[in-house]
Amino acid sequence: MTSRYRLVSIGLHLVMTVWTLFVLAPLCLMFVAAFKSQADIFTRPLGLPKTLTFAAFERAWGIGIGGFLFNSLVVTALSVTLIVVVSALAAYVLARASSRRMQALYLLIVAGFAVPVQSVLVPLYQFVSAAGLLNSQIAIVIPYAAYGIPFTTMLFYAFFLEFPRELEEAARLDGCSRFQVFWRIVLPLSGPVVASAAIFQAVFNWNEFILALMLLTETRVRTLPVGIYGLIGQYSADWPALMAGLAIATLPLLVVFVAAQRHFVRSMSGLGK
Amino acid sequence: MPSLQIDSVVKSYESFTAIKGVSFTAEPGEFVVMVGPSGCGKSTLLRSIAGLETITSGAIRIDGRDITHAEPSDRGVAMVFQNYALYPHMTVAENIGFALKMAGRPKTEIAAAVAKAAKILRIEEHLHKTPKQLSGGQKQRVAIGRAITRAPDVFLFDEPLSNLDAALRSQMRVELGRLHAELKATMVYVTHDQTEAMTMATRIVVMNAGRIEQVGAPLDLYNRPRNRFVAGFLGSPRMNFIKGRVVAAGGMGVTVQAEGLPMPIQLEIEPDADLPTIGDAVTLGLRAEMFGQGAPGEIAIPARVAVVEGLGRETLLYADAGDLKTFDSESQDGYLAAHRASQVMLRPGDPLTLSIDPAAFYLFDANDRTLRFPAVSA
Repeated sequence: MTSRYRLVSIGLHLVMTVWTLFVLAPLCLMFVAAFKSQADIFTRPLGLPKTLTFAAFERAWGIGIGGFLFNSLVVTALSVTLIVVVSALAAYVLARASSRRMQALYLLIVAGFAVPVQSVLVPLYQFVSAAGLLNSQIAIVIPYAAYGIPFTTMLFYAFFLEFPRELEEAARLDGCSRFQVFWRIVLPLSGPVVASAAIFQAVFNWNEFILALMLLTETRVRTLPVGIYGLIGQYSADWPALMAGLAIATLPLLVVFVAAQRHFVRSMSGLGK
Repeated sequence: MPSLQIDSVVKSYESFTAIKGVSFTAEPGEFVVMVGPSGCGKSTLLRSIAGLETITSGAIRIDGRDITHAEPSDRGVAMVFQNYALYPHMTVAENIGFALKMAGRPKTEIAAAVAKAAKILRIEEHLHKTPKQLSGGQKQRVAIGRAITRAPDVFLFDEPLSNLDAALRSQMRVELGRLHAELKATMVYVTHDQTEAMTMATRIVVMNAGRIEQVGAPLDLYNRPRNRFVAGFLGSPRMNFIKGRVVAAGGMGVTVQAEGLPMPIQLEIEPDADLPTIGDAVTLGLRAEMFGQGAPGEIAIPARVAVVEGLGRETLLYADAGDLKTFDSESQDGYLAAHRASQVMLRPGDPLTLSIDPAAFYLFDANDRTLRFPAVSA
């Protein structure tokens, strides 16, 4: 039994090692390529750079990566805040409601999760354009929130269903209104699910490309993915600068991931529980 | 201290009525224990008093003030929950003072109230800790402290000791008794544990299937149960119930032939009870401690020991007495439960003679109403 367990364990570790290398290899190649010359990338794609130069980073920064980074930070922070606040309140009300209407409403919200973004690109563009919001941060924050809220509501809903009711009842007896129960008792104890939702949505919105490409056409409002895309010309691309730009875009996420790894893994595996 | 009046309270869910018109009054300073089997509606009633459930009809009053539709925090009640319900993100002091903070009281007043409650409950050294750093007993003390600081008209307890181990439960029973004596507060306590009910209550409310079966002082209920449910529910081990039939009736008495007894027995019935007629099915009841010592006039029943529960200072015997069986028993095997106030050196399979004094029998009619209480316990 023990040797069989060991064999299975070794097999699983092997699979995970191969998978980890598979995931990390492109990341490593990206960082290494950012220090190479254009010629090196094509002649020695797997080799190390001959000299350590930051020229590619300078070129990438030169196209306005700093501004894109700032735009991404603003858009991600606003959309994630909006998603977390709206989803948490909605999910709490839905989780505590017993009426069939509210259950139907919850199903509708869940159904919204299934609508692919590509299917609404044209009407969404028309809406945003008609509202005069094109090329503004709000233009991208609202669609991001709309797409993030259904999933996050599901995440919070599952968490709130299992939240101990006695705590809420005790708070009501202690003089809390319904909103105070949520604000003073439920929310402070929902740290894991708030962190999970925030990290998950931050990663998603930080990397989002299609909506940003469509709704943010002016350079001053572009987010990182679209801004970096500008390094690809019609006939050629500055690959070292592109890799440097992507490395800059990836670094904040890596920092967030390392800092909140535990919550991130929980958000992916346990729906915030 | 104010009184609490429960007046014809009904609580219905979609297709189920949990409370079917319950009325009783907890007098000022009384310690009322509501007891009954799981699902009898006792916790629902307590939650209705607290305002955590909306009742379908009836009224709830504290000192005559109708609180039926008042918000939980405006009712003048404080509740101690089964699972403590302490806020994990607050310290013990913050937990205890939370209600006063929500009421907008000054910090100095909150601190004084917290200190006073902590002193009463002997938890001064834990005030800076969070609930997860406390033991079960300490958590329950904090929960009680939280209730004390609110200075409520009525304290409500929802099975507060059921998560504690046996030793701690016993200790907390004593402490709650002390607290009641100290605060002289009106308290309503829900439990399914009859030991808690018998030891702590000034009055017990026995509930079953959404109705009150009987209300009274603990020993009154034990000695003079109104029906077979109360007789069976109060007392451990459970009362022995033996099926019988009336073979003669007249005057103030009946003659009953019990299944498994070698001879019919004559029993007087209560003056206010309806005299059964010949042929009526009845039930004889005999508490485990009411078996005799073999005195003249007692009926000797040969039996065999089935199970021995040695409890140290006392022993519970479960005996197989052939055709003389108890129905509705804890073991479901029909063994008669007998109590001995000492250690006995018997083992399963050993022969045993049970001695029964006919005067020790309770008698219940076909509708389970009590017709007779034994003279010895009257």
